[in-house]
Amino acid sequence: MGKPASKKTKKKISSEDLRQKLKLKHLETKRKFSEKYPDVEKFFEDKGIKLEDVRKHSAKIIGAGAITGTLLLNPSGDPQILPTPNEVIEKLKDQGKVEGVDTPQKLLVDTLDSVLPKEVQSLTRAEEKFLEQLFQNILGVNTRATLEGEHLNTTFGRIGAEQHLRRYPGDVLLNHGSGDVLTEGIAPGLGAWGYFAPTKAAFTPDLEETERWYAVVQTLYLPDWNTRQPYLRDWYKHRKVLIVNTDNGNAVIAAIADSGPAAWTGKHYGGSPEVMDYLGGPRYKKGPVILFFVDDPENNVPLGPVEYNKLNLPAGSLHEI
Amino acid sequence: MSKVYYDHLIVLDDIENKIKDIAETREEREELWQLVDDIIHRRVLACVLDNLPKGNHEEFLGMFHEAPHSLSLMDYLKERIKDNIEELIKQEIGGLATELLEELQAKE
Repeated sequence: MGKPASKKTKKKISSEDLRQKLKLKHLETKRKFSEKYPDVEKFFEDKGIKLEDVRKHSAKIIGAGAITGTLLLNPSGDPQILPTPNEVIEKLKDQGKVEGVDTPQKLLVDTLDSVLPKEVQSLTRAEEKFLEQLFQNILGVNTRATLEGEHLNTTFGRIGAEQHLRRYPGDVLLNHGSGDVLTEGIAPGLGAWGYFAPTKAAFTPDLEETERWYAVVQTLYLPDWNTRQPYLRDWYKHRKVLIVNTDNGNAVIAAIADSGPAAWTGKHYGGSPEVMDYLGGPRYKKGPVILFFVDDPENNVPLGPVEYNKLNLPAGSLHEI
Repeated sequence: MSKVYYDHLIVLDDIENKIKDIAETREEREELWQLVDDIIHRRVLACVLDNLPKGNHEEFLGMFHEAPHSLSLMDYLKERIKDNIEELIKQEIGGLATELLEELQAKE
């Protein structure tokens, strides 16, 4: 009897191997660059930054620019530098872009289309204040771009699809529902804050909702992330955010439960399978959104879809225009 | 926005997914992302300086330091580089993606 054919199996590269390979690649790239352009690293060192810190340097500049720009435009600090949401709607009606009394969702989409830059980018504080009013009036959600002094590097960016997160030791994908929401799979590693509960027995319905409606934000690129620990880590953990798809107006309240995505993916946020499904449907993988913190000190705002087309908007709101 | 002027040209989802698949902790994942980010910065900067006339290097670096996110940097480069610099950066990063994916391939 002949020997059984040897079966080659692909082994997953280990985390340590991956680290070593990337470090070697990094060193090789640095060496080649330094050899070819020896003066460039010195140029940046003389300016007080390292080339590898250019993103944090950029975030500081943009943050300072947004504040300075707001002050220059509006020395009083009054956020009414932009027209109010109602004034914008009136203008859209005059231009024939909004007819009669539309659904709140159409009003929101038309208004966002008229005020947002065509490409995702940092918004000014005045623009963010305008959007806070708009979301309060149309969605009925009290949001802040800056909450308790904290502000993400961007509030208008692209969201991408994420996988489910393991909620407790032993958790598997099939525990996360059925149908389309299982397509993305489950992340092999844990979220940035580890398991949601230490054991299955300690896993509560609230935590189940937190994973179902979770968001990912780029805490790792915050300019002060490393210097303000553990405060920032605790502050961002399960922090509620409002995510609005600027293309269709779909809105969802989510809880921050992981960090990312990497800056070189063209994305700025991530959403759980359920978040992405609600924002854009089962095939929605990436798209522009606004992401603001929810101002909810009493923890009254539930996670999940914001079904504002069913809302009875308060007197004086856009509904009556 | 934590942003540099060429971000819109770079989409390396495959590399990100690979790292997410393998890294065991958040700290490790972010460290690896940062390594890739730094490799990208140097490869793109080298690509730009290789193609930009030497007399413009210092001015460009000064502008980059002042506003790394500014899209006017790309306009500056387009005015001074004969070839399509956006395409050159995309090719550079496409080549890097291939190199990285080969490095990260599973072992047999």
